Amino acid sequence: MMRLFLCLLTLMMAPMPAVAGDLVMTVRDAGGRAVPDAVVTVYPASGTPKGPIRFSWPLTVAQQNLQFQPFVLIAPVGSAVAFPNRDKVQHHVYSFSAGNRFELKLFGRDESRSVTFKAVGVAAIGCNIHDGMIGYVKVVDTPYAIKTGADGVAQLSGLPSGKATVKIWHPYLRAPANELSRPVVLVAAGAVRQTVAVELRQSAGHGH
Amino acid sequence: MGRFVHLRTRLTVLYAGLFGFAVLLTAIAVFVSVSANARRQVQDELTAGGAVFDQIWALKSDQLADGARVLARDFGFRAALASGDAPTVDSALQNLRSRLALDRAFFVGADARLTGAPELDAAAGEALWRALDGGADSGVLQLGGQTYQAVAEPVMAPDLIGWIVFAKSLNRAEMESLEALAAIPLSATVLTRTGEHGWRSPDNPQLAGDDLAQLAGAAKSGNGKPTQLHGRQGEDIALAKPLSVFGEGEQAVLVLRYPLKLAMAPYNALMVSLMLVGLLGLAVMIAGSWFLARSITRPVSALDEAVRRLRDGEDAKVEVSSHDEIGRLALSFNVMAAGIRERESRITALALTDQETDLPNRRALEAVLEKTPADGLYVVAVGVDRFPQVRAAVGYGLAAAMLRQLGLRVGQTWPDSLCARLSSERLIVMLKADSLESAVSMTGQLVEDLSHPVQMGEQTIDVGISAGLARVSEDHPASPIDRAGIALDQARGAHLPVAAFDAQAYGDPASKLSLMSEMLRAFEDGSIQMAYQPKHDLRAGAISGVEALLRWKHPTRGFVSPDEFVELAEETGHIEALTRWTLIKALEDQKTFRDAGHDLLMSVNLSGRMLGNPVFAREMIALIGAAGGRICLEITETAVINNPEEALGIIESLRDAGIAISIDDYGSGLSSLTYLKQIHADELKIDKAFILTLDQGSRDALLVKSTIDLAHSLGMKVVAEGVETAAGLALLGGMGCDIAQGYFICRPRSLKEVIDFLSPAETAPAQGDARTA
Repeated sequence: MMRLFLCLLTLMMAPMPAVAGDLVMTVRDAGGRAVPDAVVTVYPASGTPKGPIRFSWPLTVAQQNLQFQPFVLIAPVGSAVAFPNRDKVQHHVYSFSAGNRFELKLFGRDESRSVTFKAVGVAAIGCNIHDGMIGYVKVVDTPYAIKTGADGVAQLSGLPSGKATVKIWHPYLRAPANELSRPVVLVAAGAVRQTVAVELRQSAGHGH
Repeated sequence: MGRFVHLRTRLTVLYAGLFGFAVLLTAIAVFVSVSANARRQVQDELTAGGAVFDQIWALKSDQLADGARVLARDFGFRAALASGDAPTVDSALQNLRSRLALDRAFFVGADARLTGAPELDAAAGEALWRALDGGADSGVLQLGGQTYQAVAEPVMAPDLIGWIVFAKSLNRAEMESLEALAAIPLSATVLTRTGEHGWRSPDNPQLAGDDLAQLAGAAKSGNGKPTQLHGRQGEDIALAKPLSVFGEGEQAVLVLRYPLKLAMAPYNALMVSLMLVGLLGLAVMIAGSWFLARSITRPVSALDEAVRRLRDGEDAKVEVSSHDEIGRLALSFNVMAAGIRERESRITALALTDQETDLPNRRALEAVLEKTPADGLYVVAVGVDRFPQVRAAVGYGLAAAMLRQLGLRVGQTWPDSLCARLSSERLIVMLKADSLESAVSMTGQLVEDLSHPVQMGEQTIDVGISAGLARVSEDHPASPIDRAGIALDQARGAHLPVAAFDAQAYGDPASKLSLMSEMLRAFEDGSIQMAYQPKHDLRAGAISGVEALLRWKHPTRGFVSPDEFVELAEETGHIEALTRWTLIKALEDQKTFRDAGHDLLMSVNLSGRMLGNPVFAREMIALIGAAGGRICLEITETAVINNPEEALGIIESLRDAGIAISIDDYGSGLSSLTYLKQIHADELKIDKAFILTLDQGSRDALLVKSTIDLAHSLGMKVVAEGVETAAGLALLGGMGCDIAQGYFICRPRSLKEVIDFLSPAETAPAQGDARTA
């Protein structure tokens, strides 16, 4: 059993100028359609910067309209994620994912629990009451992480130039651990544009 | 149909054949419709059964799925799975297995790892994962050589972490529980196969060979429609339903089967009874038509047989037992047959009986004669003398009755002998005798017995009887009856009461006939020649004419007398040719005479027969006229007896043509003053019988003298024949006879001799042939 933490994070990161290198990654499925909610992480060969990782989005997974919102959340390892309930009904949120197991027993409207994700990886979260509710928290150990928008494009700026490994993760991606890995050479100035085609499996009866 | 000799066989075969054909058609129609019906029924029930089976299959699947779903949703179970708590998971699956009576229950992880199925290896897990990952959720599952109905339920935690698989074995017991649910006793079998391997039946491992092949055929064509199988136990109707499967490249089919024999079973009794009824009907039909045909044809056969007997001349009568057409036909036949028999016997009787006397006729006697041994057998012809006169006296009726009386008398004298009427006045009798002499004496006795007067009612008729007899076995061309008749003639000729046939006296009619054909040839080859006897005119003291005579020197017979062949020519009708030839020859020779300076009257004898032939008379007139001849035709008075009117007419026409007519042989035979009156002749020839014996003062002399006077007074010249002496010639001259003819003057000589005789004689009289003025 995990303790529920409430962690409020303020987004303070302004858009960074493209002084360093940029990576523009477009993710498409086999049919050429844009794939949203794909998590793109970059691991430069020179290593990731030390220090706490901060993202520009709130570390919150709300339960709203019997769905987790957002569907996919990128959270730095060791951070606390809030699970506010915005529905009229109660929810029983849990995850059996290795290293990040937790169970938030029935809590009602406007209640919020928080969970600290200690292990790098993916925590699939569900509701024991509502089978249709499913969401994912991608726990990362790099500051260079972003998810694709509705257009399937993810853009990362300020990346150090040189060799790096790009990983693309999606809950339905047909690959070991639902993740693809690609080497990339980043440039000091200007953008590196890449498009990756992925194969998605059918979502197992869930809303997404 | 032509092969049937008997009408009844034909009728029976025809009727029975028609009925049998109808029965056969009915049976075929019933069988076809029944079996089609049964087939359709089975197909319908199979289709219905198939639908039920689908539902049951789905129901079982749902039951399994329900259990699996409950487990897959269980939070604790999911937690145990997620935490890799294998013992807990195992125990949970074990719990479910026993609770739901499952054969298999296990978990397949999303990483293809198996939990709860320790006997399965990693490869099996991989295969299962592939199937489940491919979306398989229910169907036939093959595991370790076993076949199961299985369902799979994904376990979401909340993401898919694997599948729970529940399976029930598809064994025979399971299939039987399925079969028990069907309305008809069909058999259900699941067939599976992997790839292109052969089909096998998990619920019935013994199934093999033909059956399996048949079922496989049905499975392959599993289009949801019933098909027909030809199994070892007869025809089956089968319905194949494809089942979903887990395994990659696997196929599974549920085959429902129903033997057609079972479907037909309820109808078997119907078919058998139909067959029996048909056979019974056929038997009754055959028997019935046989009896009917026999009853129809028996009278016909009897008629057929009777007609055959009638044809063969036997007695023919048909039993009449019915009153229908055949009965009436038989009746008519009997009447007709009786009529034919009666007429036949009457005709036979008529043919063998003399109608006037009721005595047997000649044919009847001939028939008996034929059947009697000829040895010692004689035929006697009995004739009534002067029968025409008797008949004229008593009339035809009594004459016949008299002959009948005589016949009866013969029967009394010779009871064993057959007496028949031969002709109007003759009877003919058969006689057995040891010798000819005995036969003659017996016949003499018979004649004596018959010669008594015959009493005819009031009248008594005297009869004179003659008889002739002939031996049957005698070798002669004429029949015994004819010979007996000839013998009778011979007896009469000899004025004897009885005579046996004398072949020598009778001569040979065949040789007479051949004589005639030889005569016609003799005209050509010159063996018949003319001879002329000069006639001396007593007043002129010169030869004034000749009489033409015929001389036939036959190469084998020698000299043939004119009397013989002229008479024969008259009888056989050759007289016309003979007369024509003679006349033509005489006319030729008269011309020769004339050319030699002798104008002579040519006398030619004319047969009385030629006076009945006006056509020939005209021919003679033409011939004579053409030759310019002077001809005198010598005829006898008797020539005009037969048909005086016609004969006299012809004589007149001859005289009108300038032909002289002479009455020949006057004084002999039936010389009649009537004829002298009727025949206007130019000349009268006194028969030589009066002249040959002519003496002064004799009766002949008186007759000759008075005849000469008679002839002269009738305006005729008188010729005397047979003048052989000078005295006779002188006497005739004294009597006023006009012409003399005879050996004293000149015998008949050839043409040349006569010319020679005449020529010197004109100056000096010939020696030996005296001539007197």
